[in-house]
Amino acid sequence: MHFLSNEVDELQKLAEIPFTNLNTIMKKLLFLAVLTLTGSLFFQGISKQEQEPEPNLILSTEAALPDDVKAVVDKKCYGCHNANSKNEKGKAKLDWDALDGMKKSKRKAAMGEIAEVLEKGEMPPKKFLENKPEGALTEAELATLAQWSSGKKK
Amino acid sequence: MKRWQYILGGIGLVFVVIQFIPNELPPTTQQNTGDISTSGLVSKEIADLLKTSCYSCHSNETNYPWYSYVAPTSWLMKKDVSEGREELNFSTWLDYDTTKMLGKLDDISSEVGEGRMPMKIYTLMHPSAKLDETQRASIVAWAEETMDKIAEEEEEEEVEASDN
Repeated sequence: MHFLSNEVDELQKLAEIPFTNLNTIMKKLLFLAVLTLTGSLFFQGISKQEQEPEPNLILSTEAALPDDVKAVVDKKCYGCHNANSKNEKGKAKLDWDALDGMKKSKRKAAMGEIAEVLEKGEMPPKKFLENKPEGALTEAELATLAQWSSGKKK
Repeated sequence: MKRWQYILGGIGLVFVVIQFIPNELPPTTQQNTGDISTSGLVSKEIADLLKTSCYSCHSNETNYPWYSYVAPTSWLMKKDVSEGREELNFSTWLDYDTTKMLGKLDDISSEVGEGRMPMKIYTLMHPSAKLDETQRASIVAWAEETMDKIAEEEEEEEVEASDN
C-alpha cells in the first residue's frame, strides 16, 4: 500500500485538491486506475528483441529430409531453429536437429505445425525480415516446404 | 466544476461514444456435425472438460455473456474468439487432415500442460473453466495418446495402400 499512497500523494499535488473526505480519495483512486489501464495499453506493443541467427550453420546430412527440403531449411530456417540456437523461442518451437529422434506421431505433429505457420505466413517473423529482407522465403521455397510439411505426396 | 468532474465526464462520454463503433462478434452454431465429440477420439470425460474449459473460444458454441456486447470488452471478445477459432476449432475438427490434427494435439498438450491455456483473463471471469492439476494431466495424456493413435492408423492405411 505504500506504493499506492505515494502515487496518490503525487496526484494530489498535481491536481491541487485537498484531501478532505473519503469520496475524493475514491475518485482519485478511480482516476489512478484509469491512468494505469491506459498506460498498460502502451506496453503491449513493445516486444523483446529477436536474437540474430547463426550464419552458415548446416543441418546434419544424416537428417531424413528430401534434398530439396533440406536445402531450403539450411538456407532459411536452421539459423534460428537448431539445437544450439541462442534464439530460445525459436529453439523451443522447433528444433530441426531433434526432428529425426522423435517418434512418428511427434514428427508428424511438428510437420503439421510447420504447415500451418507457413500457410499463415508467420515464418520467418516480420520483425526478422525488417532487418534481413533477403531471409524471406521465395515462392518456390515456400512451395517446397509446404508440400513436404503437409504430408502430401507429389 | 472541479477537474475530476471533467475527467469523469470525459471518460463517461468516451464510453458512450465507443458503443456506436460497429463490432460484430463471431457467429455461433450449436449443432456441429464435424465436432471432435463425433470423431470417436474423445471419452465423455474429456469431451466435458473441453466443453467447460475450451469451447468458449475454440468452438462455434461460444456463450456470449452480457459484457460481450459492451465496448471495450466486446472488442477483446471479438479478437480472442476469432483468433481462438482460427488456431483451433473443435466444432470443425473433422475438416483437419491427419497431419493438422497431430499438430493441433501437440499444441494442446504443450499449451495446457505448461499452463498457458485456458488464458488467465478468461478464467478470471469464468472460474468454473479453471483446470486443476489432475484435469490438466488428463487432457495432456489424452492428447498424447490420441496422437499415437492417429499416427498408427495413418501408418496402417499407408501399408494397405502400398499392398494394393
